[in-house]
Amino acid sequence: MTQASTDKLREIVGRLPTTRDEDWKYTDLSRARDITSRWLDAGAETVAAETGDEIDRITGSIDATWFVIANGELRLPAEAMGVTAERLDDVPAADNALAELNSALLVDGLQIRIGGAPEKPIGLLFVDGAADAATSQARVEIEFEVGAEGSVVEYHASLGAADHYANTIVAINVGDNAVAHHLRIQARDLRHVQTSRTTVSAGRDARFDSAGFDLGGGLVRNDLVVDIAKPGADVSFDGLYLAGDGQHIDNHTRVDHRVGPAISKQEYRGILNGKCRCVWNGKAIVHEGADGTDADQANHNLLLSEKAEIDAKPELEIYTDDVKCSHGTTVGQLDETALFYLRSRGLDRQHAKRVLTHAFAAGLVSRVPVESAKDAVSSLVEARLAVIIHSDEDYLQ
Amino acid sequence: MLDIKNLKSRIGDSEILRGLSLSVNAGEVHAIMGPNGSGKSTLAQVVAGHQDYIVTGGSVTFNGRDLLELEPEERAREGIFLGFQYPVEIPGVNNAYLLKAALNAKRKHHGLDEIDAFEFLKLAKEKMATLGMDPKFLNRGVNEGFSGGEKKRNEILQMAMLEPELAILDETDSGLDIDALKAVAQGVNALRSPERAIILVTHYQRLLDYIEPDFVHVLSQGQIIKSGDKTLAFELEKKGYDWVREAANG
Repeated sequence: MTQASTDKLREIVGRLPTTRDEDWKYTDLSRARDITSRWLDAGAETVAAETGDEIDRITGSIDATWFVIANGELRLPAEAMGVTAERLDDVPAADNALAELNSALLVDGLQIRIGGAPEKPIGLLFVDGAADAATSQARVEIEFEVGAEGSVVEYHASLGAADHYANTIVAINVGDNAVAHHLRIQARDLRHVQTSRTTVSAGRDARFDSAGFDLGGGLVRNDLVVDIAKPGADVSFDGLYLAGDGQHIDNHTRVDHRVGPAISKQEYRGILNGKCRCVWNGKAIVHEGADGTDADQANHNLLLSEKAEIDAKPELEIYTDDVKCSHGTTVGQLDETALFYLRSRGLDRQHAKRVLTHAFAAGLVSRVPVESAKDAVSSLVEARLAVIIHSDEDYLQ
Repeated sequence: MLDIKNLKSRIGDSEILRGLSLSVNAGEVHAIMGPNGSGKSTLAQVVAGHQDYIVTGGSVTFNGRDLLELEPEERAREGIFLGFQYPVEIPGVNNAYLLKAALNAKRKHHGLDEIDAFEFLKLAKEKMATLGMDPKFLNRGVNEGFSGGEKKRNEILQMAMLEPELAILDETDSGLDIDALKAVAQGVNALRSPERAIILVTHYQRLLDYIEPDFVHVLSQGQIIKSGDKTLAFELEKKGYDWVREAANG
């Protein structure tokens, strides 16, 4: 794939979304622009950071057929049982600057077809980080064939200590009667910026069952866009974001119900401590004629510090009558009644707070859609929570 | 064991306890009865250390120590147990975890080693069997989705595991069918011993058919207005609370 000229790249970078765009009101991509510009100024050379055994550690933590995309370069697994994988040649025309940047700088795209019911999940490890500031792109297209059932685990991780901007696109097509389990784990370094866009197209009577865990990253923006164009689809997605000092995590979701009947359910939860900001924006559009739609969205946030900020916005647009839609958003602190209950049993205040905070996250961890990854997710969440909870003095009062 | 002298307490702007005095010795079972709003639950919450109840006067000592100075968890570790009128549902924290954490917090306080997993499970299952609880409840979220009766049994299970020196049971009988009531009463009676004391806070005399109190006190407008033995409970059942109130005023 030929890469675009530096001038063209600078022009695209200049058009990346800004906080003047409604969808990007709370998330400022200046850092992504800055990192990309510095990288272009330095000749757009990416010298990979020392990986050590980080890649092995991650791929060893979840039993899957792993495809490693390191700084945009693809390493195919020795053996991919039950799936067809090849480099992606054709990238569809980009409809926004982030996708343009992705197309313009893409080194290796990946295309995977899942038929039948492969025994192991497909693992996609996006691991980025160079010796100096750099930017990298990844694009993966996944096709679940008619009637197939399989799992995909996206794992976004960082290497090295330099600033980095990673821009990822994953497009999932769930064929008629197919069942897709999807897990996204984002555990990037705080110096890293990530924009990730996952698009899902659900076929007739298809099921898409997803959960995302944001456990790291300095500036993170995830877009999950689901399109229901055939009846009978059953789509559910959860998200858990844990943010501590210096983090900004933005989750935007959008579901288009174009036909009914179909179900979409989403539940996002956030635990924020220290000076950080999170954004949840859940949009569900029930188009004209999409009768029998059942759309439900929930977002619950636990703010453990006065310095933490959440911008939560449910958006329902309904253009038909026969629908069942609901949404609920809560922002709060730990329940004092529950705290007293635990303390009255002898647990000290810190212990009681820790227990309740973990419990708040546990609900989503227990629903991880990829069974073989449950333990790994659980320990990552526990570990991250331990860091976040102890990072802030406020919490211990 | 427990000495309450002229205790005054308010929540927000409303004064609830208006000079309450009560003395409870080891080995005794006291029943505190009274109409709604008389301050029964407030008394239980103040002794357990709920922060919303502000103590404005009087004293509470437990084995000679000033109880009001202690945090709720310290009171629990010292041997005070409050059975909640409305046990709290805590999804995501399993029952076994809480029981073990509570037990270990107390053991640590008394300089004992943590209980080992095997011993814990054996003890919990033993106690559950006597309360007619399915061992499956150990792996469920604390009170999560429990019926009213299951929640109260769960409170008694916690009490049975912790073996408190002083147990205060706040309306533990409310909302129970007869089987649950018997199971709860059996759990409480099993705890009776010359070293322990129990305070039953109740609206009705019914519970006292199964747990025989040594003393019955009538609480009205934040004060104990009459004390007696168990026959007082029968009299209250027959004549209602107005009878004591009038007698006290007259």
